[in-house]
Amino acid sequence: MFKVRFCFEKRDTAAYLSHLDLMKCFQRSFVRAGIPVKYSQGFNPHIEMSVVVPLSTGYETVCDLCDLELTCDELPQGFVPSINGALPRGMRVLSAGKADRPVNQIGYCAYRITLPKGNENAMSALFDSPVLVEKRSKRGSREVDVRDYIRDLTFRTEGEKTVCTCILAAGNDPLNPMYLVKALKSAGLTPEDATAHYLRTGILDQNCQIFWE
Amino acid sequence: MNETIRACLENVRKPARYTGGEYNAIYKDKKDVDVRFAFCFPDIYEIGMSHLGSKILYGLLNSMDGVWCERAYAPFLDMEAEMRKRGQPLYALESGDPVGEFDILGFTLQYEMNYTGVLNMLDLAGVPLRSSQRTSLTPLVAAGGPCVYNVEPMADFFDLIMIGEGEEMWPEIVALYRRAREAGMDKQAFLREAAKIGGIYVPSLYDVIYTEDGRIASVTPKDTAPAVVKKRVVKDFDKSYYPDRFIVPSTEIVFDRAMVELFRGCRRGCRFCQAGYTYRPIRAKKPETLEKQAKALIASTGWDEVSLTSLSSSDYPHLETLCESLVDYFEPMHVSLALPSLRADSFNLDLVQNIQKVRKSGLTFAPEAGTQRLRDVINKNLREEDLLEACKVAFAAGYNGVKLYFMMGLPTETDEDLLGISQIVRHVIATFREYGKNKARGVRINVGISIFVPKAQTPFQWLGQISEEEAQRRKQILMDSLKIKNVTYSIHNYQTSFLEAVLARGDRKLSAVLVRAWQLGCRLDGWDENFNFEAWMQAFADCGIDPAFYANRELAWEDILPWEHISSGVTKRYLYSELEQAKKGIATPDCKAGCRNCGALSLTGGGRCDV
Repeated sequence: MFKVRFCFEKRDTAAYLSHLDLMKCFQRSFVRAGIPVKYSQGFNPHIEMSVVVPLSTGYETVCDLCDLELTCDELPQGFVPSINGALPRGMRVLSAGKADRPVNQIGYCAYRITLPKGNENAMSALFDSPVLVEKRSKRGSREVDVRDYIRDLTFRTEGEKTVCTCILAAGNDPLNPMYLVKALKSAGLTPEDATAHYLRTGILDQNCQIFWE
Repeated sequence: MNETIRACLENVRKPARYTGGEYNAIYKDKKDVDVRFAFCFPDIYEIGMSHLGSKILYGLLNSMDGVWCERAYAPFLDMEAEMRKRGQPLYALESGDPVGEFDILGFTLQYEMNYTGVLNMLDLAGVPLRSSQRTSLTPLVAAGGPCVYNVEPMADFFDLIMIGEGEEMWPEIVALYRRAREAGMDKQAFLREAAKIGGIYVPSLYDVIYTEDGRIASVTPKDTAPAVVKKRVVKDFDKSYYPDRFIVPSTEIVFDRAMVELFRGCRRGCRFCQAGYTYRPIRAKKPETLEKQAKALIASTGWDEVSLTSLSSSDYPHLETLCESLVDYFEPMHVSLALPSLRADSFNLDLVQNIQKVRKSGLTFAPEAGTQRLRDVINKNLREEDLLEACKVAFAAGYNGVKLYFMMGLPTETDEDLLGISQIVRHVIATFREYGKNKARGVRINVGISIFVPKAQTPFQWLGQISEEEAQRRKQILMDSLKIKNVTYSIHNYQTSFLEAVLARGDRKLSAVLVRAWQLGCRLDGWDENFNFEAWMQAFADCGIDPAFYANRELAWEDILPWEHISSGVTKRYLYSELEQAKKGIATPDCKAGCRNCGALSLTGGGRCDV
């Protein structure tokens, strides 16, 4: 028995996989790659795995984590290349190792949001005073100040675009980066019909250090 | 994927349907490709990706050097709106390139309710709808699939149509297309050449003249066109091309599993069943071939289920040995077998339990009619005793539910036949009460009732569908009689079945109605939430066409059928003799009891069926 944790990216076409789609894609690629996965006991045996920090459909990531139970006692030789030969386009495993650190130590995620070119100074200034949004979760919806969830936030110009890099709360009470864009849109700093592109760039611990590598 | 497609995907449900990139999708370098082929499925991704024929042709075309076959499906309404708003034309999933720029667009016609989907996809691709409006060689717009046995309502839209199995025709068409392009042939010259290929139907090479009352006076072939286009079949089905990999969808589809095809054709001869006549002669694969194909597919896809498909799987001669060896091989891999299309009279519990070791699914039987008399009329040679016996063994083994399929509006149907349905249901419940293993859990009977649609190239092709008024009366009888504890039922929408009947026996005059209905917003008509019957009736009225003329009228032997120049191999005379037997209430034994000389064997140059 070995619990492997691997880091993966999901880009381009693969960004549009939902969380459930992603799980299924991984399960099938494990089978295709001949990975000795552990099946649950019971009426409908399934592969025991979890994607550590779920990501919204349409967002890209270069740093997501997946935990998987294996029947062997150590990481199989060639684990990463064999899965990579079996994944849909846009998905790639970057590294793998022992799932040693408990996931409840995750505190933050870093994102890069690409927006149509706007006034970056005004955008930064918006977050100097309370920014209230309706935040929805499984437990219902409530009004929050997004600033309570922001650890770091910068706006800058990159070519024809405005790029926002931010570190936002993850874990029990996370903030989806779309709320920042929502706030920018309702303040009139980004056009209402603009398309935002989201990329997760890091999963961090409570001290904003890389959680696992 | 370009920025416009990305922007569309921001605002649609299940965007993974529109991205491509699935495992085993085929990507080629455009500089190695001289024929761009778009396989177009006029329904949404979840349906199209479940279709076996598409997978075979996708693999086959991509196995050809220089040919890149990509896929396009009908976008759902939200995606269509986004595409139109942003000026994004219909694109192929693999390359993201506009389908309108391809060399060949190949549509598959699975079901009459997809017809407006074809028009909508052509329009989204920026391709003129009618063949006559497309004067250059490319793009060629072709079609195949089960609806081609009467494709007349769609005849104006396609340049050429494949009658029968595409496995051999497509390579010939692609070769001819390359020759034509090299020789600088125009489209007309190309089509005249194409019409010489066996199984290729070029609708524009036939002149149809109508009588004053709207019937067909004559169908005249022009130039090189044969008087009758005969279906092409794969002669050696066991050795025919079969892909060793299928695209594995990254998002949920209807049939998310591997499939192998046990045999083509069906020996039963149910008189309402179009597939039962048009897939003849019966050709089976060897169990070794199927085993090899199933193993290769599971290895290349990672699916956890293999379906053994055919029109009537329990009729496959080597079913038990095949299942046994597949279960032995797949069970340790957590891969289950699915065996759809089982008949109650050859139901083998050991077999079903054996294949369901990994996962247990439900039981479904299709008695189709409520009395033995009517089952004899439609030649569904299934006795109630056989059904109850199958239920008895299944219930005794722990099953506590069954799904039963019936039809209403069948030829010669009486109220007594309709009441027979609830009687069968009551007998099934009684069987459970007597033999059920877990009586305390109760039994669940699910009854599905569809409305009979007469289809071309069947013995019932001459008959009309019942009127709406009569359908409502019969529906009420069913609703009253099926109010039984533990029974749930659903009855198909009459209006959809009516339209299906119009198109199934329609002629070329309906092309105008299809265009009009599409202009009025009809699309994805197979989806109840989108089906707009009023718009369809408006379209008929606008075109001055009475739909009842097609749906409800009975035709005579002397009438020229709109599809008379298309042959499935089974002769008109044979179909008519079956109709006469039906009217007398006499069943025809299945083909295993002896060849009935239906004519289908002429397609393979004699020999015999694999029964």
